[in-house]
Amino acid sequence: MASFLLKRILQAVFVVFVVTLTVSFAIRLTGDPALMLSQGAGSVTEEDLANIRQALGLNEPFITQYWDFIKGLFVGDFGRSFLGGTSVSMLISKALPATLALAFSSMFVSIAISIPLGVHAAVNKGKTADQVIRILSLVGLSFPNFWLAIMLVLVFSVMLQWLPPSGMGGFASYIMPAVTMGVILTATNVRLVRTAMLETLRSQYIQVARAKGLSETKVLYKHALRNCAIPLITYFGLQFGGLLGGIVVIERVFNWPGLGTLAFDAVAGRDYPVLQAVITVLSLLIIGINLLVDIAYGLVDPRIRNR
Amino acid sequence: MKLGNTRGALLAAVLAALPFGVMPAQAAGTLTISSPQDPGSWDPIDTFLVNWSSVATNIYDGLVYRGPDTKIVPGLATEWEVLDEGKRLRFKLREGVKFHNGEDFNADAVKFTFDRLLGEEGKKGPQRSNYAVIEKVDVIDDFTVDLILTQPDPVLITKLAGYGAMIVPPKYVTENEEDFVNANPVGTGPFKMASYEPKVGVKLEAFADHWGGAPKLDAVEYRFISEPATAVAELQAGRVDIVIPPTIPISMVPTIEADDKLEIVSVTSPTVYALRFNTGNGITADERVRKAMIMAVDREAIIDAVLGGQAKQIASFQSELSFGYDPEMEPLPFDQAKAKELLKEAGVAPGTAVQIDIRGNDATFGEVTQAVASYLQMAGLNATIKPYETNVLLNDIIPQGKTGEMFQQSWGGWTLDYDNTAYLMYHTGERWNPYDSDAELDALLESQRPMIDVDAREKVLQEIAAYAADRALEMPLYNLNALYGVNKRVKNFIAPPDSRMRLNEVEVE
Repeated sequence: MASFLLKRILQAVFVVFVVTLTVSFAIRLTGDPALMLSQGAGSVTEEDLANIRQALGLNEPFITQYWDFIKGLFVGDFGRSFLGGTSVSMLISKALPATLALAFSSMFVSIAISIPLGVHAAVNKGKTADQVIRILSLVGLSFPNFWLAIMLVLVFSVMLQWLPPSGMGGFASYIMPAVTMGVILTATNVRLVRTAMLETLRSQYIQVARAKGLSETKVLYKHALRNCAIPLITYFGLQFGGLLGGIVVIERVFNWPGLGTLAFDAVAGRDYPVLQAVITVLSLLIIGINLLVDIAYGLVDPRIRNR
Repeated sequence: MKLGNTRGALLAAVLAALPFGVMPAQAAGTLTISSPQDPGSWDPIDTFLVNWSSVATNIYDGLVYRGPDTKIVPGLATEWEVLDEGKRLRFKLREGVKFHNGEDFNADAVKFTFDRLLGEEGKKGPQRSNYAVIEKVDVIDDFTVDLILTQPDPVLITKLAGYGAMIVPPKYVTENEEDFVNANPVGTGPFKMASYEPKVGVKLEAFADHWGGAPKLDAVEYRFISEPATAVAELQAGRVDIVIPPTIPISMVPTIEADDKLEIVSVTSPTVYALRFNTGNGITADERVRKAMIMAVDREAIIDAVLGGQAKQIASFQSELSFGYDPEMEPLPFDQAKAKELLKEAGVAPGTAVQIDIRGNDATFGEVTQAVASYLQMAGLNATIKPYETNVLLNDIIPQGKTGEMFQQSWGGWTLDYDNTAYLMYHTGERWNPYDSDAELDALLESQRPMIDVDAREKVLQEIAAYAADRALEMPLYNLNALYGVNKRVKNFIAPPDSRMRLNEVEVE
């Protein structure tokens, strides 16, 4: 087990290294932060620009800049934002919880909708209910989430004025962003739950449970659903990683102060340290989740562990 | 008006007669503003972003103040005089002014502010060269300072009204860590910082001891919202009172106007747009071709159709707010026949290709360029549009002289002085002038810089504009208005042309 873990962690380190190297290198090809910083100035001189580059450490060779970033990484210091010199670690420490909160709420919404719908579809396989649910999930899958978000804002914030259109605050502020993300995920999840349930429902122990005279609800949710829980949880876990990627758009529409907004602004303003940090944190998260899933597999199945 | 006054007087009388203060003496409340960007630091020397200024104009004072009417009036200095043929400016300072932290404002604070701006700390920021003409600050007495200049600079007095020239408290800045000062600005302005949450927003509260009198509002809240659709939704939902430029896209103007509670306040801004020519090579090296291309395009029609009338046609690359603007100057007329004739005369074959380089993220300007391209098509040129990522266009394409026949330039300096545009656009070797070199134009540009005779200088600037137009160095397009989305509950709000808004007179219902 120890060697399995070590192997996976070494792989993870390698992946973070490649990802950060690529991102750090690529963003440096896209323009000069000094010019972005002095946009309002008008009469900025080449000497000013040179001074700013000097102050930001941009005159160092790329390898030195990257090495400084890696060194900082080990002590949890992501450096300073080019925009105003704010500590990047501080920015991340505020944005990360916001993003995670949104991601978890979206997962919650998705699971709360997709499990009953998926089970219902599986039980009524081939009947009208099943068809309707499958078509609905196809429709959900085809929605661009940006559009859905704007429609929700129009109806619930502008017309009805029930929910705040943007920002992170109390419970009400979570509803629209979580539903937008949740609906998109639900489309896939319903199909997944349905398939898993169909398989389980064919098992002999379900017939036994029914034969014992248990209520249908008990059979479905206690015996059948529990048995397909493992693949579902695995899938939801992996999905969480993908969710973090998709959240950038949603955060922007809802002005959610998370990693997505941070990344967007950092790209627009050529704020290298912030972008590097966000990408590193996101890839660490995704790698971490995958690692957890792998470890869980390894624990369950010795064959994977020894491979 | 008359009626309003009478009613007001009556109300005041009734209020005064009340035995207890059932109502506060003045209308108060909180104003919420949507701003597109968090500048990251509130230290005046750190940034040159206009969205810094839309907040910080309320926190800090300069020696002088320039409001929405663009006139320079006393700020922390009550009067000033120009000495030694423009190489020394003497300021009499306002007495009894305190910073938000209780520190006294005096000549030492002024000296400290400029020493810092021009020293090592200022070097890290983008503003130093704008004030580099200041050699040193001499303290004459507690409330008199002299700015000693290396050469006369007619624009300096304007520059003292904003950005790096905002006066900071010496003791506070010296004694605290840089990070702390960046996040907790202290000035002498009408509002003081109450809280700042990076990337989320800023809260200001009234500073009742302000030398200009207490502000009418209790508090101002700024929220950073970069997505225009979101900012407009917040405005419609009544959770934001003012959406400041450059947020509201022209396509959203009708939506806001259709709402009874909201209005669009549209004011002349310094922002101008032009398609500049590659005068170095290709068919646009020929002045006749450049003039033909200008005349081929109906700029007025584009303003009406694409920009919903929220812009004015320009004859030179400046707005009417700019010092050096000549109201007599007329743009080249729209005349397709003349354009075709000129092209023929220059030997340009019909169907010759021209390329227009633009910023890819500017949807409105993209539409404008499409209209321009189809007008050029009608005149017999085959125009293609090449959108670039903004930063790439500004860094790699224009300064390196790698553009097509035409390229987008949008410009708007806050100093509202044509020198700030013309010198950078037309002087040989400047970053934004990769193609042209004209000794006569260079001489004109250099001659006006040290002039302290205002009228003489204005004449030279007008001459420069006429010269550039005569050589058709660019296709001047339009001066775009600044659009503010405002909830009608906001009273006494005068929208400034440059987003540098001071909110001490503003009230909310």
